[in-house]
Formats: sequence, C-alpha cells, structure tokens
Amino acid sequence: MRKVIFATIIILILATSLVKNSTKELEDKIFMVNENIRPLKSELGDVLLEFNYLSSPDKLTKYQSQYFEKDLIKIDITKIKKLTKKNNHINVSDFIEKTKDE
Amino acid sequence: MNDKKNNIILEEYEDEFSYKKSKTNLNIEFNRIAFIFFVFLIISIIYSIQLLHLGSVKKKVNNIKPLIIKKNYRADIVDRNGNYLVKTVSSIDIGINPIEVIDKKKLLINLKLIFPNKDYIKISKKLEKNKYFYLEKKITADNYEKIMMLGDKSIKSEEKLTRIYPQKNLFSHIIGQIDDDNKGISGLEKSFDKKLKKIKEPLKLTVDTDIQFLIREELIKFHSIFRSKGSTAILMNVNNGDIISMVSYPDFDLNKRETVNDVNFINRATKGVYELGSVFKTFTVAAGLEEGLIKTDTEFLNLEKRLKCGKNIISEYDKKIPSDLTVEQILIRSGNIGSVRIGQKLEIEKLKLFLEKIGVLSKIDFDIEEVGEPIPFRWGKCKLATVSFGHGITTTPLQLAKGYAIITNGGFEIKPSLVQKKLEDNQKQKRIIKKGVSKQINEILRKIVTTKEGTAGFANIRGFEVGGKTGTAEKAIVGGYTRKAKVNTFASIFPTSKPKYVMVVLLDEPKTSKDYIYKYKNKIGSYKGTPFNTAGWTSVEVAGKIIEKIGPILATKYIEN
Repeated sequence: MRKVIFATIIILILATSLVKNSTKELEDKIFMVNENIRPLKSELGDVLLEFNYLSSPDKLTKYQSQYFEKDLIKIDITKIKKLTKKNNHINVSDFIEKTKDE
Repeated sequence: MNDKKNNIILEEYEDEFSYKKSKTNLNIEFNRIAFIFFVFLIISIIYSIQLLHLGSVKKKVNNIKPLIIKKNYRADIVDRNGNYLVKTVSSIDIGINPIEVIDKKKLLINLKLIFPNKDYIKISKKLEKNKYFYLEKKITADNYEKIMMLGDKSIKSEEKLTRIYPQKNLFSHIIGQIDDDNKGISGLEKSFDKKLKKIKEPLKLTVDTDIQFLIREELIKFHSIFRSKGSTAILMNVNNGDIISMVSYPDFDLNKRETVNDVNFINRATKGVYELGSVFKTFTVAAGLEEGLIKTDTEFLNLEKRLKCGKNIISEYDKKIPSDLTVEQILIRSGNIGSVRIGQKLEIEKLKLFLEKIGVLSKIDFDIEEVGEPIPFRWGKCKLATVSFGHGITTTPLQLAKGYAIITNGGFEIKPSLVQKKLEDNQKQKRIIKKGVSKQINEILRKIVTTKEGTAGFANIRGFEVGGKTGTAEKAIVGGYTRKAKVNTFASIFPTSKPKYVMVVLLDEPKTSKDYIYKYKNKIGSYKGTPFNTAGWTSVEVAGKIIEKIGPILATKYIEN
C-alpha cells in the first residue's frame, strides 16, 4: 500500500515537473510573440494617426475642391431606398416613411 | 493462588509488549531509508526544474521592464468610430552642452551640413554663453541618425512625449490642453488626467468626427452671415445622453499650444450661462401636464396684451396674438401672457420642483470641469411670472438640451456624457416624468415647425420630422435689458414620432443679414434679408441647414439606435 502511495507521489511530481516545463516553454513563446507585437502596435498607431489626419473631413474637403470639378451635394433622405430580399426577389422601398404632416 | 495466576498474566502481557516494541523499531529503520531517498528525490526534482527553467525565469524579469519605463505615459483619445482625436507620440529633442564642446568650429560646420537653414550666428553666440540650449526640437529620424553619427559628446538627445491632435480645432473645447509636465489643465485632459495616465487602451468618446465637422462648418458659415459674437450647437442622443457633437465657436488649434485668455473663446455649450427666453415655455407647459393641471386643449380666455408685475411690464411679442388660446396654441404662438397664466396655475413650488427635476436650475455634473452655474434667484410672484416664459432664469445650453431630452424621451432621466459608458449603465432607465407627457409635448413641438403660426418653419426638413421651440432673449445689462444684444436659441428634437436626437443651436449676439436668401420650407418661394433678429429667422435657419446635412448620416449610420 505504502509503495503505491510513494509511486503515486513520485509520478505526480514528475508529471507536474513535465507539465510545468511545457507551460514555461509556452510562456516563453507568448512572451516572444508579445514582444514582437509591441513594435507592430506602435507602428499601426502611427499609420492610423497618419490615416486619420489625411482622411479627416477637413482634409477631404480640401482635396475635393483641389482635385474635383463638381461640388459635394447633400443627400436627400427621401431619395434613399431600402432593398430587401424575399424569396430570391428584391423589393425596393423608401428608406424613410413619409409622415402625414409632410 | 489467585495472586500467582495474576503474575503469569502480567508476564505474558510484558512479552507481548516487548514484541511489539521490537516490531516498531524495524519499521522506523525502513522509513528512515525511504524518507532519505524521498528527500533526495524531491531536492533533485526541484533542482532539475530550476535548471531547466533558469533561462525563462531571467526572461520574465526582462518582461516587466518595458512597463516601468513609461513614466510619462498618457493614453490616446478616440471618437466613437475609433478615429484618433489625440495621439501620444514620442519625439526626440536635440540639445547642446557648450561646456563639453571640444572644437566649436568643427561642430558648427558639421551642424550646417545637417541643418543648412539654421541661423548659425545665433547658435555660435549660444555656444559662447556656455549654457545648455536646444538645437532642434522633434528631430526627424534621418537627421537624428546623422547628428548621432557625429559622435560629439556635447550633443544630447532627450526623449519627450508629444500630444498630436489630427482634428486640429474640431474638439478643442472638449479635449482641452495639457502642460509641459504631462498634467491636464482643461477639458477631458484635466478631468480624466489620472485615468489617462493609468489606462492602457484609448479613451473612447461618444462624439462623431464627421458630424462634428459638418456642424462646425455650418456654425462658421452662419457666424459670418449673422456676424454673431459666438455660437454653439449640441447634438445629443435623447435616450442615453451620449453627446454626438458639441461645438463652441470661436475655437482654437490644440496643436499650437496657445494660452487662451480671451473670454470669447469660452465653451459656450457648457460654461456659458444665458437667459434663453421662450425655450423655457415648453418646460412650463410640460410641468402643467405633469401635474395634471392642464391639458393641451385647455382654454385660456380673455388673455391680456400687457401685464404689470412690480416695476416690470410683461407684453406679447406678437401683437396679433388672439386673446383666447388653448395650451397648444400658447406654445405654438409663443404667447408670453398665456405662459404666465399656466405658471400661476402651477404656483412656485410645482414649477420649481419640475425645473429642478429636469436639471436646469443647479450646476450640472459633467465629464469636463468647465461648466457654468445657473445664477440663483429668489422666487416670488413676479419671478414666477417671468420664469414661466423664460426670463429672469438662466442655464447653460447643455442643461437645456438635457431638459428637452427628458421631456421628450418618455420622461426618463439621462446624464449627458462625452465618454462612452458601459452597456449596463445605458440600460438603466429611471422615469422621472409621467408617461404620456412626452407624447403631448412632441406633438406640439412638431406643430411649431409645420404650422403657419409656428415660429420654426425653416427647420421643417423633409424626412426628419423635426420639432422644436424657439427662444429669443435680450441680454441682461446693469439695470435691465438691451435690445441690441440678443441670444437666439432653437431647441429641436427629431424625429418627433419617436425622438432619437435633441439639438440645441444658440447664436450669441447675432445681427440681421441684408443679403441672405431664405428658402421657405412650408410654402413655395424665398425671402431676401433677415426681417427680424429673432431665433425663428436666425438659429432655426442654422439648425435646419445642419439637420439637412447630418440627417442622412444619422439616419443611415446609426440605424441600430
């Protein structure tokens, strides 16, 4: 009986050390991946900042007047249509339902 | 005999006892060997584990290091769509310590090759003074590499943090500024100073950059048309208090890091405390409906054209207003005397309690610290009369927007917010006004925009069901009011059948325009020039133009709301 208990304890200790070993290896890999992500994240932030600046409404309006002949026009919401698919058939309806007082 | 027997038994017992003792001794010896082996085994296993993972333990120490480095860390700020409003970037400043310069002439030649456009007479003088100075701030990566290649000990590089504002002026009043010690001094930078230094993810706001831009564009356009001193517009979700846009004009470019001392640059949306006039009549009517003292069709007969209260004379702005009016007509035609009568029916306590409940009387608890405090006053019979039609009572445009949101969203309490809340916070709804009041108010507000008698026809933009109330107030001066300076406000909601947004547009001291051409919305034709300096001819027009532009975006982009 005692031998069984001893054997179990030794097996458990060995198993723990093996599991811990593989966990440590995984931790190392995660650490390496995280370290590689850090500069990428920073680079992404800088690129996004550049993108946000270049595509800001203020910049886009300037580019529009600089490169296009036609002015931007306001969208009339009553002209926006809604497409719904039903039994392989597409229905076109008004996006905004007209109210009685309009 | 009996004693003898007893002795034998004792001996037998002793034998048994000695046998047991010897058996125990054997057992101890076995355990000792096993125990020693066991201890050795444990030690060897622990040692082997330590040996195997010694490398990884070292790496773990390295892992902690980068987190400690960033002493000057400050989180970025993004809008509701994740666009950067503020971004922290690290930059390098190059300084020179003249004491450590070995060959000044050689250094100047080398520097001239890297920075050909600098004033080297000035730099030479600075070198002679033997005092540390900055040669180049926020140096480019190329120039940094070149200058470091010189290998001069006197050249020092300093890593610094810079806050970049890609939207320039667009959110100046909301975001605010920081000082050189990474400390917020105004706006969200001040009120969220600790949080910004702590959080790893960007601070997400409720504002939308595109909507903010379009609203600001319209305010700038009408700033020159109506030559106003300043203006403000707030667009807020009536159901959860999320502020989608908050513009106060004039504003400033945060990237320039200027010291703003001119009072005209205050945040009019939150800090400006104004007498807003007739927009308060909606609150008087809502309070009457809430208390069950009036209905929308309750008639007020034989209304006077003038009322005297103490030294003050209360009269109608519209001289053609009939003497017999229903509650609905009083609000549509913006009747002063009718509003006074409703106020008198309510009495001081009920009106005061209602205004307190919707949060227009006391200082608002908001995400930024730059908030104005409504001027306190003593209630009396005359004060009740003037407050009923929005005079002698002050508040901020933000609180006005909050009040309109509550009375039109079904009567639910909301807290205006610039920073996105957790989902569960948005779902908590507490009713503070009786069910049914909003429906009646919304119908009247819609009629103010659609009917001939209404004062806000220019805001009747097709497809958006706009409703709202105008307010034209003369500015208070010492000893009374001046007709020359006005505050024109339009508080609107849309769509009135199921309100989603409240928008307040305020023009501070606008003037009439001779050349501006108005296009009628409720009839065919146009009109040149501003005939009256009232909200109906100024702020309503601005609000109409804004809704025309932002409406399709709001309807399609925020369809899930």
